[in-house]
Amino acid sequence: MLRRHFLALPLIALAPLPALAQPSPGQNAPAFSLTDLDGRRVSLADLRGKFVVLEWTNPSCPFVQKHYGSGNMQALQKRFTGEGVQWLVINSTATTHPEYLPAAEQKAWLRKQGAAPAIAALDADGAVGRAYGAKVTPHMYVIDPNGVLAYAGAIDDKRSADPADVKTARNYVVQAFTELRAGKPVSSPSTQAYGCTIKYG
Amino acid sequence: MTTAARLLPALFALVALAAGAQPVRVDHAEAELVAATAAIVPGKPLSVGLRLKHDPHWHTYWQVPGDSGLPTTLKWQLPAGFSAGPIEWPLPKRLPIGPLMNFGYEGEVLLPVQVATPLAVTEGQTLLLRARADWLICKDVCIPGGADLQLSLPVQSAAAPSRHAALFDSTRRQIPQPVTLDRAAAAIEANRIRLSYQAATPVRSLEFFPLEEGRIEPAAAQTLRAEAGHTVLHLTAAQPVAAGFQVLKGVLVANGGPTMAGEGGWAGVIDVPLVAGTVAQVAPAASAPAVIGETGPSMGLWVALAGAFIGGLLLNLMPCVFPVLSLKLLSLMQHQRAEDEARLPHASLRAHGVAFAAGVVICVVLLAAVLIALRGAGEQLGWGFQLQTPWVIAALTLLFFLIGLNLLGTFELSVGGALASSGAAQRLQTDRLSGSFATGLLAVVVAAPCTAPFMGAALGFAMTQPAPTALAVFATLGAGMAAPYVALTWMPALLARLPRPGAWMLRFKQVMAFPMFATCVWLLWVLAQQVGIDAVAMVLGGLVLAALGAWAFGLMQVGARRWRWIALASLPLSLYAVFGATTPGASTARDAVRAADAAGWQPWSQAAQQSGLAAGKPLFVDFTAAWCVTCQANKRLVLSSGAVQAAFAQRGITMLRADWTNRDDEITRELARFGRNGVPLYVLYGREGRTEVLPELLTERIVLDALDRL
Repeated sequence: MLRRHFLALPLIALAPLPALAQPSPGQNAPAFSLTDLDGRRVSLADLRGKFVVLEWTNPSCPFVQKHYGSGNMQALQKRFTGEGVQWLVINSTATTHPEYLPAAEQKAWLRKQGAAPAIAALDADGAVGRAYGAKVTPHMYVIDPNGVLAYAGAIDDKRSADPADVKTARNYVVQAFTELRAGKPVSSPSTQAYGCTIKYG
Repeated sequence: MTTAARLLPALFALVALAAGAQPVRVDHAEAELVAATAAIVPGKPLSVGLRLKHDPHWHTYWQVPGDSGLPTTLKWQLPAGFSAGPIEWPLPKRLPIGPLMNFGYEGEVLLPVQVATPLAVTEGQTLLLRARADWLICKDVCIPGGADLQLSLPVQSAAAPSRHAALFDSTRRQIPQPVTLDRAAAAIEANRIRLSYQAATPVRSLEFFPLEEGRIEPAAAQTLRAEAGHTVLHLTAAQPVAAGFQVLKGVLVANGGPTMAGEGGWAGVIDVPLVAGTVAQVAPAASAPAVIGETGPSMGLWVALAGAFIGGLLLNLMPCVFPVLSLKLLSLMQHQRAEDEARLPHASLRAHGVAFAAGVVICVVLLAAVLIALRGAGEQLGWGFQLQTPWVIAALTLLFFLIGLNLLGTFELSVGGALASSGAAQRLQTDRLSGSFATGLLAVVVAAPCTAPFMGAALGFAMTQPAPTALAVFATLGAGMAAPYVALTWMPALLARLPRPGAWMLRFKQVMAFPMFATCVWLLWVLAQQVGIDAVAMVLGGLVLAALGAWAFGLMQVGARRWRWIALASLPLSLYAVFGATTPGASTARDAVRAADAAGWQPWSQAAQQSGLAAGKPLFVDFTAAWCVTCQANKRLVLSSGAVQAAFAQRGITMLRADWTNRDDEITRELARFGRNGVPLYVLYGREGRTEVLPELLTERIVLDALDRL
């Protein structure tokens, strides 16, 4: 009797859902290893010495559609990939979610959009997304050549799903690169990302 | 006046009928501009609002949407002289989505806006209010929604309530107003935020909704505590903590909010300066927050004290306390014999019991004080931390080995010699009392890692409390542990049932050496997990040197003084070997050992657990440590048994093992999440987020029943 009360009172908690890890800019970017859409293994360690951009995506998300529909994301991918940046597109949607896309369909969608990432991969178990604390699509990360996280957050400062806003928005990824290339510290290393919830399942 | 001029108002009225009350249906929601009154009164503020009716399970967002989402916006086009205020947001709901949290609305919601109207509007005309509403509506997918809405209202000198008046009234009660909390304070340390105030009425539940984005982690548990007359809410700051985060702004909802006003529910907007300070780690919120009274210790404390006492009693039955228990038994018997021979009063026996109890209680309290001090210093340590330090294990091995040799008669301790040769009862008593005191200390050091049922829970509770409460819980735990001995010494009738002394006592003493050596085997096995086989070999070498020294010391005691140098030389060599092998620089062998131990089990990590849960499969986590005998017993006898393994396999349960043999901050934090500071802890995660914590002493039945309940 006593025992049951005692245990029940403050302690046997229905555990809240596990929170996401959240590396801060200035810390080492969590190591990861993924299989890309062509079945090749990619790990962050292999990309050492180069700038890396992680872009969380989900083709069904209106905020992702905003940046692809306006051509904004593809332009960024082309520009930075051309400058030697390793741009990774990652989709962490769980296989159980209706928005899950198998590798072939994800690839077809990227091709149709004219996307130009260096690497595209699925993270259906959400391990990489959780390690980075990725919450929404698009959620953007910039990792410097030493493997240190330089930027984490929104793609830009116009929080909307309206493609017209892209023109007037301040792009945080571009800003981070401009500052990093000039040898300056990133002035907004962490912003509140906006978009659709990542469907971790 | 022309016909047209006379017709114009009628035309306006027609437009009003057409546009005024028509809700618009857009993807999964019905949207409408509504007013609280049926007319505009010149110069009087007009209550209007966006009424959104969501399809079941769809939601839109609050002004701060949480981890994702967008707040609903209104852009007004109003007649000249009119101006609209901001949306007055009613209280949102917490909307969990996987590991993330949103704040928003489901069902029907009204987002009210106050519109200032000019005095100079002509009565009798009908005016058109237009607004562009934009929102994001989500279920498990999100759709941006929006509508151009309009509302036409006549201008009159007085206005009757509209058919939406009731909705405005009920919504108004849900709009939080600024409150000033008595003695409100907010402190931040790392990502831990502590909001405290003095409540006028009891607080059963408290929820905080941030009014600024990126400040607090929306999905993190919010934990309510009563601390020294204050109501305290622990929050988690978003990482990295924003540089400009100097005021904690948000909405506080107490006791279920205004809809529960009859039961003390309220909500208010707070604005508390945030200062750097010391913020304790707390266990996450229980599913139902504890009731907190405003005076005196909470019920939780009394129950915790009772639990701690019973836990202490049960500790005596734990395998790792047993060797010390037998030591104590032996000493009690000696005492009984001494009583027969020297006719000492019962009082000495009682003093003996009290000295032992004092030893236990003081040691527990000292350990707790150290732990509390370390907690204050931000160290993430758990209760079993002494045995996570290799040199402590090595020192204990040496100690138990020497005790064993002593029991076998290799050498005598001076106290024993004095006992044999001297008749000075007074001095003997003192020696014996200090001996009992020391036994008490030793018992605690060995017992600490074996958290019996109750103990883990009591510790978890105690560590989240202010220091005096924590110390009281620990002291009670010690008292419970010492109670049987005190009872024995105070009730000689019980003691008299112990066997009469005789020649067998010497043999009994010698036999007692073997539990000591067995303890050494266990300690060395633990050490092997921590620092590897090379270090263990060094320690074993040190034990050989110690044996040599003890033997020479024994010869010395019987008059062979030339052996003295061996005794003197072997001691430092032994200490060198024992501690040299186990200092912090020594290598760690845990990974290799862990891998070898892993048949069917995967090493636990937060990531492994989350990916397991994400895959939707049930999950069993075994929090264990090599030095925890209870854990090992459960592992060998229950978790590794054929029936249990078959049941795990049949149900496709992912088995994770969190090995706390060495310090591991991630595991320490996870234990804290369950309000624990020690192992064992067994957690079964079922489907649909069900979590069950199993008892600390497992049987096959307990595990199989728990699996059946999945």
